[in-house]
Amino acid sequence: MEFLRPATWAEALAAKADLPEAAPIQGGTDMMVELNFDVHRPAALLDLNRVAELTRWTAEADGRLRIGAGVPYARLIAELGDRLPGLAQAARTVGSPQIRNRGTVGGNLGAASPAGDSHPALLAGDAVIEVESAARGVRMIPADEFYLGVKRNTLLPDELIRAFWMSPASGPQYFSKVGTRNAMVIAVCSFAIALHPGERRVGAAIGSAAPTPRRARAAEEFLAAELDWDAPLEPAVLRRFGELATEAASPIDDVRGTAGYRRHAIGVMARRTLTWAWNDLRAGRTERRAG
Amino acid sequence: MTVRRGAVGAPAPRVEGLAKVTGSAAYAYDRPVADPVYACPVQATIARGRVVAIDGGAAAGVEGVLAVVTHREAARLADTADAELAVLQSDAVAFRGQFVGVVLAETPEAARQAAGLVRVEYDEEPHDTELRADRAGLYTPEQVNGGFAPDTDEGDVDAAMEAAAVTVDRIYTTPMLFNNPMEPHTSVAVWGDGGDEGGGGPGEARLTLYDSTQGAHVVRSTLARVFGLPPERVRVISPYVGGGFGSKGMPHAHNVLAGLAAMAVPGRPVKLALTRQQMFSLAGHRTPTIQRVRLGAGADGRLTAVAHEVVEHTSALKEFAEQTAVGARMMYAAPNRRTAHRLAALDVPVPSWMRAPGEAPGFFGLEVAMDELAQACGLDPVELRARNEPEVDPESGRPWSGRHLVRCLREGAARFGWEERAAVPGTRRAGRELVGLGVAASTYPYYRFPGSRAVVGYDGSGRYTVRIGAADIGTGAWTVLTQIAADALECPLGAVRVEIGDSELPPATVAGGSSGTASWGSAIVAACHAFRGAYGTEPPPGAEAGADMPRDPDAERFAMHSFGAQFAEVRVDADTGEIRVPRMLGVFSAGRIVNPRTARSQFIGGMTMGLSMALHERGVLDHRTGHVVNHDFAEYHIATHADVVDVDAVWLEEEDAHAGPLGARGIGEIGIVGAPAAIANAVHNATGVRVRDLPITPDLLLR
Repeated sequence: MEFLRPATWAEALAAKADLPEAAPIQGGTDMMVELNFDVHRPAALLDLNRVAELTRWTAEADGRLRIGAGVPYARLIAELGDRLPGLAQAARTVGSPQIRNRGTVGGNLGAASPAGDSHPALLAGDAVIEVESAARGVRMIPADEFYLGVKRNTLLPDELIRAFWMSPASGPQYFSKVGTRNAMVIAVCSFAIALHPGERRVGAAIGSAAPTPRRARAAEEFLAAELDWDAPLEPAVLRRFGELATEAASPIDDVRGTAGYRRHAIGVMARRTLTWAWNDLRAGRTERRAG
Repeated sequence: MTVRRGAVGAPAPRVEGLAKVTGSAAYAYDRPVADPVYACPVQATIARGRVVAIDGGAAAGVEGVLAVVTHREAARLADTADAELAVLQSDAVAFRGQFVGVVLAETPEAARQAAGLVRVEYDEEPHDTELRADRAGLYTPEQVNGGFAPDTDEGDVDAAMEAAAVTVDRIYTTPMLFNNPMEPHTSVAVWGDGGDEGGGGPGEARLTLYDSTQGAHVVRSTLARVFGLPPERVRVISPYVGGGFGSKGMPHAHNVLAGLAAMAVPGRPVKLALTRQQMFSLAGHRTPTIQRVRLGAGADGRLTAVAHEVVEHTSALKEFAEQTAVGARMMYAAPNRRTAHRLAALDVPVPSWMRAPGEAPGFFGLEVAMDELAQACGLDPVELRARNEPEVDPESGRPWSGRHLVRCLREGAARFGWEERAAVPGTRRAGRELVGLGVAASTYPYYRFPGSRAVVGYDGSGRYTVRIGAADIGTGAWTVLTQIAADALECPLGAVRVEIGDSELPPATVAGGSSGTASWGSAIVAACHAFRGAYGTEPPPGAEAGADMPRDPDAERFAMHSFGAQFAEVRVDADTGEIRVPRMLGVFSAGRIVNPRTARSQFIGGMTMGLSMALHERGVLDHRTGHVVNHDFAEYHIATHADVVDVDAVWLEEEDAHAGPLGARGIGEIGIVGAPAAIANAVHNATGVRVRDLPITPDLLLR
């Protein structure tokens, strides 16, 4: 197996163009598992760890954050936890401290596992994925259009993930995950919510309960239409939101849980995260709920 | 008591602790050897059949590869009576993952790469890996592990059940479980001849094995037989072992493979370390169990019948019969008692010892059934057990050497806040969580195995060396044996150096059956007394005396068992069914505790393993392929730190006057026994849902 070590982003794009079957590797927390298990054996590995710009993030002129694909979860939590609380909560549930030191959102996007922890928060927070190829330059892909199927995304063979873009939270955000133990666990299912009070809109997305991470569109539209932003949460609204979130799921039975359980838990997490977020909003707080 | 107090009973820190935490303690694979060769096994990818062709050509072409050894090239073994150890002796495949070859190379990477290139063709035969209680071909083994009779039947259980005012008749199951010590199974094999150190005549083959084992001597005697060598020409060195939990209690196929591999590269040592995934096929496991428990009682909860009938699997290659129902023979007073073990011989890897074989799975069934009986009788579960306390051992009729189960239960109830337990399940709530408390009883037999010998030598300057071929697999044996020797010699702890972990040392029995401290310790006490008897308190430097472990006449006259009471609090999320265990407490009666620090680690380690068994661990065998599909730590879940909150253990201050000179009954295994039942019973108390199949997962609680 060839092992390519570009030193710059331009070199990385050139290498990917030359050898489109090369598999990019950053933290290795997913790729090395795949190699260990012999799930697949790429013709070459494209090591992106020397590409320094991937590990930087910047606040852009339009107010959005541009976060390099190689920023590990641990730094995301420490440096951006205040501005991206939903994503930071999801990052805290990834693996162990060692995994969070190595693993990246870019890797999660590249692997596109339906159980990846960052996806629901990216979807709920309207993230946009910046990908690039030597031949055609940059493409900006909304997270919503990024995931195509189980472990499949919309990247073309010569493209690499450069960064993802997100606006700092404009309202409360929450991530919730059910696992079969308290740490180092792949999600049985997960849910993310992001309130956008200025636009009177709510982002909501599910994880590990469908072939891809996906937005709960009907649930979002229902809240956009029915939510009274100046009043306490109506129990009927909360209940209907949970039902619509559940309907967004198309889960399977596997060793981690049954489809029926996943549907049930998605409904619970939808109601729970909306309640937390709403309480924060009503209390005039937008930071992460204590505890 | 023949040992003065002093070092024994003190929380001495581990004598080898500094070496371990600084990385200077050489585990088997760390052992520097000159010019090593690295071995990587090739494993069968079918569950049953024959190897018809092996093409090692591509493997042999990898740079650095020295040899590809299969059943065609491997040396013939002298003794193949133990089929598990008859490695590479035929073309037959008895389970998926069995060794069909080994690649030897200059680096581990080359060996592994080449092993993946070995092409094996099979003549595949239909296999059978599925355990069910209603399957054909179940048989009664001649005996179950420990040498116990497979079946017992006293009185008339059926009539008693018929007549009983209250009955419980339920099926309980436990899954296939894997020991998973932190250090994988490793062997470094070095063949030499009499010209090397260690003696023997020129040309006489000698085998030295640096091994990760619970018993250097048992590995030596077994491998000597398998390779056709006199035992004195095999040496096994194993000073530090990173856990075993029974899986290193006897040699497994990898030990033989390392020896065979080293024969293929004469003059060079061979290093073999199983990967975590390989351990799931090759290092033993606990059988799944299907347990029917029947309890009959009067309205007052007094048992009239106890029946515990178990169906479990073994490997078609080699029988291992877990003694799952044996604990039910002595636990409670009931005039009518029946136990039975039935086995299915399947095309699965060879099961073996795993922490508290028998009691660990058996007390899930028995102690959940007792909780169900308490509920049916409207009795507190602690009180129900107190009412069924037998005066003497129901099985043997012998008096107990010391049975303090009820004291453990009462003491635990007081410490744990048992009175806060809701009498009606599912009625105690804290926020969005349902809160429940559960209890289960625990027991483990007192074992002291004959065959250990200790030798004491005086090194001058007030210093003594005590030599015995025992094993410390993380238990604290290094430290505890030092304490015992110091007291028996009546000298300070720092004056004694203990040597263990080498078959050149005097013989010692395996670190198994929670027997180490009692067996090796009493041999040390006898040797120290023999030494003082011969030389007094002013010995000349070089003075030496030894003794065998003395006989234990009381073992014939008393029923000797340790007991414990396990308490658990669980909190179940009312909406998602997620289960947390914020508190566990074990109260144990195990005779004298030699070292409270290391003993506590043994107890809470066992309880943590029980928590893991209750909520997480489950081997998933794919019956289409005979493959344990979740054969790694990503998918075979073990409790993490975040799952283990407050696990505490205490014990009764006691000495068992009949348990040898130390009065100690052994502590390594009892901690796991009853812990899963305590959690299952607490889950029932919290939710009203009775789970009879482990592990307990959130989806089961939302029915």
